[in-house]
Amino acid sequence: MLRRILRCAPALLALLVPLAAQRVEVEEFELDNGMKFLLLPREGDPNVAAGWIAKFGSVNERPGVTGVAHLFEHMMFKGTHAIGTQDIERDLAVIEELDGLRDLIQRERAALLEQHRRGLIEDPDDPELRSPEHGALIRRFEELIEEQRSLLVKDEFTQVYTTNGGSGMNAGTTSDFTIYFINLPSNKLELWFWLESDRLVNPVFREFYAERDVVREERRLRVDSTPTGKLDEQFESMFWQASPYSWPVIGWPSDLDAITRSEAMQYFDRYYAPNNLVATLVGDFDPDRVKALARRYFGRLSRGARDPEPVRTREVEQQAEQRLVGSAETRPRASIRFHTVPDAHVDEPALIVLSAILNGRTGRLYKSLVLEQQVAVQAGAGVDGRKYDGLFEVFGMAAPGASPEDVEQALLAELDLLAREPVGERELQKVKNQQLAGDFRKLQSKFGLMLQLLTYEALGDWSNINAFSDRIQAVTPEDIQRVARRYFKKTNRSVALYYTQEGAGPPGSQGPGPRRPRQGGVR
Amino acid sequence: MKRRDWLKAVAGGAVSSWALAQEGLPEHPSALQYPQLDFEPPEPGQYRHELEGGSVAYLVEDRQLPLVSVSLTLRAGSYSLPAERAGLASFTGSQMRAGGTRSRAAADFDEQAAFLATELGCSIGSTSASASVNCLTQNLDASLEMFFDMLKNPGFDPERLEIARARTLQGLARRNDRLESILSREFGRLTRGRHFTTVQATKASVEAITRERMQALHASQFDPRRMFFSIAGDFDTARMVDRLNEALVDGWPADPADPGEIPAPSHDPEPGVYMVNKASRDVNQSHVALGHLGIQRDHADIFKVRIMNSVLGGGGFTSRIMTRVRSDEGLAYSAYSRFRPGTYYPGLFQAGFQSRNATCAQAAAIVIEEIERIRGDKVTTKELDTAKNYEIEIFPRFFATAGQVAGTFASDEFTEREKDYWKTYRERIGDVSADDVLEAAQRHLQPGSLVILAVGDREGMLRGNPEQPAYSFESLAGEAGIQSIPLPDPETMEYPEA
Repeated sequence: MLRRILRCAPALLALLVPLAAQRVEVEEFELDNGMKFLLLPREGDPNVAAGWIAKFGSVNERPGVTGVAHLFEHMMFKGTHAIGTQDIERDLAVIEELDGLRDLIQRERAALLEQHRRGLIEDPDDPELRSPEHGALIRRFEELIEEQRSLLVKDEFTQVYTTNGGSGMNAGTTSDFTIYFINLPSNKLELWFWLESDRLVNPVFREFYAERDVVREERRLRVDSTPTGKLDEQFESMFWQASPYSWPVIGWPSDLDAITRSEAMQYFDRYYAPNNLVATLVGDFDPDRVKALARRYFGRLSRGARDPEPVRTREVEQQAEQRLVGSAETRPRASIRFHTVPDAHVDEPALIVLSAILNGRTGRLYKSLVLEQQVAVQAGAGVDGRKYDGLFEVFGMAAPGASPEDVEQALLAELDLLAREPVGERELQKVKNQQLAGDFRKLQSKFGLMLQLLTYEALGDWSNINAFSDRIQAVTPEDIQRVARRYFKKTNRSVALYYTQEGAGPPGSQGPGPRRPRQGGVR
Repeated sequence: MKRRDWLKAVAGGAVSSWALAQEGLPEHPSALQYPQLDFEPPEPGQYRHELEGGSVAYLVEDRQLPLVSVSLTLRAGSYSLPAERAGLASFTGSQMRAGGTRSRAAADFDEQAAFLATELGCSIGSTSASASVNCLTQNLDASLEMFFDMLKNPGFDPERLEIARARTLQGLARRNDRLESILSREFGRLTRGRHFTTVQATKASVEAITRERMQALHASQFDPRRMFFSIAGDFDTARMVDRLNEALVDGWPADPADPGEIPAPSHDPEPGVYMVNKASRDVNQSHVALGHLGIQRDHADIFKVRIMNSVLGGGGFTSRIMTRVRSDEGLAYSAYSRFRPGTYYPGLFQAGFQSRNATCAQAAAIVIEEIERIRGDKVTTKELDTAKNYEIEIFPRFFATAGQVAGTFASDEFTEREKDYWKTYRERIGDVSADDVLEAAQRHLQPGSLVILAVGDREGMLRGNPEQPAYSFESLAGEAGIQSIPLPDPETMEYPEA
């Protein structure tokens, strides 16, 4: 009896929202060399959001060159044979000589690193400790950098876009892909074809070593000098055992110090063939004209000799719970992660709905941990479906007087409840209503739509942007219970607990705060 | 919004470039030819509606998606409150959203909004309050009803207040954790002195927040006679205006206070080099800001200053500070300058970067060199053209969506921006010459007045870079020496003796 009532209920509740979300109708188009285009003309302002994606990222690296996918992305802004220099021949000769010098300098430095390794010297980069030959090589290197500077047309790639009204230009690298994007006035569209195809035909990695230093600073900014950056990185590395997801996208510091220009070029040769690339345009353009421009400009690229093979090293099944207990100048907190499924896996929609049941002002975590138990001041859940694998995470920031362990227990209790009892129909419908509204909201920005189409395509197929909505609406309470039982097992979880460590200056009187346990580090 | 007709231009004017290209591609993008793009900014009058009692709304229909977005701005904020009330304004704003209404318990209000997939927000900042609702068209009536219930009858649920208070107190205790937060707080104190923009909430001021004080602040600040609405999306203008008028007539606080003048800061910043030591953990990078007082929005030089700053450090990768600090020397990931004119009083000029401890002094010296260079020599034609073309070319982006059109015009009227600002914008940018840029730099950049603040590992920054011994903070500071700023007690915000 009860079952029958429940079965009727969703239909009544669902009347509050439209029956189906708007479909994104994309025109696909492929060049002979295998490069794919996704075209979505949209009315509105005179602008085109344009981008392209290489379906490879840090997951395709190997130890020794971690960070090369991201460093390579930086180098793509340094120009080509036609852009960025006044004298390409001399420029290329200088670059070659610089590389040779850098090899010799690295050999000299290796001797100092060896002494540092044995604890004989404190700073391997102390100029006082260098041999005369080492010093001379560095001076010659700096002279050449000066000469190169006189040949450059500084940041010409960016300058040409800027002077033509290109805005929001940037690029991003993740573990699974690298994406390059910009907004352009619609009358300047040919410029995009010119510049983007040119940097794929003839890139020149000038100023390589200065840019490597920029990336080192980026790492310091994003990881090293933030309160929890290095702990977060350690947790990520601990979570993934065999998978290359275990190293950071930005790369390990030692690799960043050592990657060579030719290694970056090898990465380009292997992964940036047109058959591995997808471009997307959204906005004010004529598709026929775009196709002609695509053939003319990107048609110049040659198909790669063979397709890069998928990542070989896959994650192994976790055998026991893993725990990391650390301290940092931050609020106390707990994170719990489980290995789950890659993007677009059949179980992913149920996991996403499950996370939505937990999230938000009316979600279970806020209601239970923040409002009722007052064990946390903030709590949330997330799904991270990547190309080869995926994870589910719940986290909570401990309330004053509560410990990270208290938060951990409260989070686990909520997950346990999801495995034990089916979620209510109204609770599920609320999440689906929000998803439907979200399906419209995500169409509002042309730029956002361009990025979504590219990332869907990089991880699988752009049409998942449409399929995704239907699959979310189809999730049942039983599906949620099933995935909770399947993935939220003790042997499949990794826990990070962060305690507060006071910094310099007068400490804040924290009240009856938790005491740090005696064991530290990974257990 | 005027429909662009450049596609027609392609069919006619651009045929020549098409033919040329068939013989081969242009060797450089400067050879590319583009069709004409005509764009005129929309007219505010077309969307403007005066409402009952004196409020104003800008309504821009856009029927592409079944969504409606309503935003509201009005004069309110912490500027009118004494320092011991720090935190009260922002709490009042967030608790209007979180604390339910007189007829709806907090949890019920949240559940209803969530089930409708309606997003509601409310906040009170330093010089304005804002509130918004975004919903599916079919839920518009129910959503607007909730929106006005929130604005007129906030419940200020005591339990929700305590939850927010606990969280805020915990956050206050941790406000010396991040270099960027310390930098922005201390740079504000150095440049603005005692002013409502630099008042910090303390444990005592947060503990003094009560339901009654929030109710009183709401009653004194939410005046239905001076609200500015911006509304965009899938709705009918005439019906929406009626709906707003109905909502504005009654149910509001009876006796709102006169908002009063926004006080300008009176502080005269003390130039020099200041350092905050934050070396408690292994921090291998420090953050640096350099700056001084700037100009107000109605200053005759604002477009000259805008272009000048774009060349100096505001134009991203094509600006001088970025080129030298990042691209030439690899000293920083981000390096910038900004020269934001103030709306109500003169704004600030600020440049900055993050760099490893050893190279902070070198990067700071480069920034100062660039400030001096742009005051000494005219910018090149290429630099000038790049900065100006960019501003002119991206102009249509300010009006790219219905939401931007409505929001820009509502904000303009709220802040009393000059009437023909957008109409003459491109022309005034176009008129800026290299001489103007030089003059603006000489008039508005004062290298002798710079407040230089470095936050990070003091010892590492002072040690400097052995490869570049010429650069040091001592030499930047000169005879005055480096002044230390201690970290304050994060809860009382009392600073120990240096």
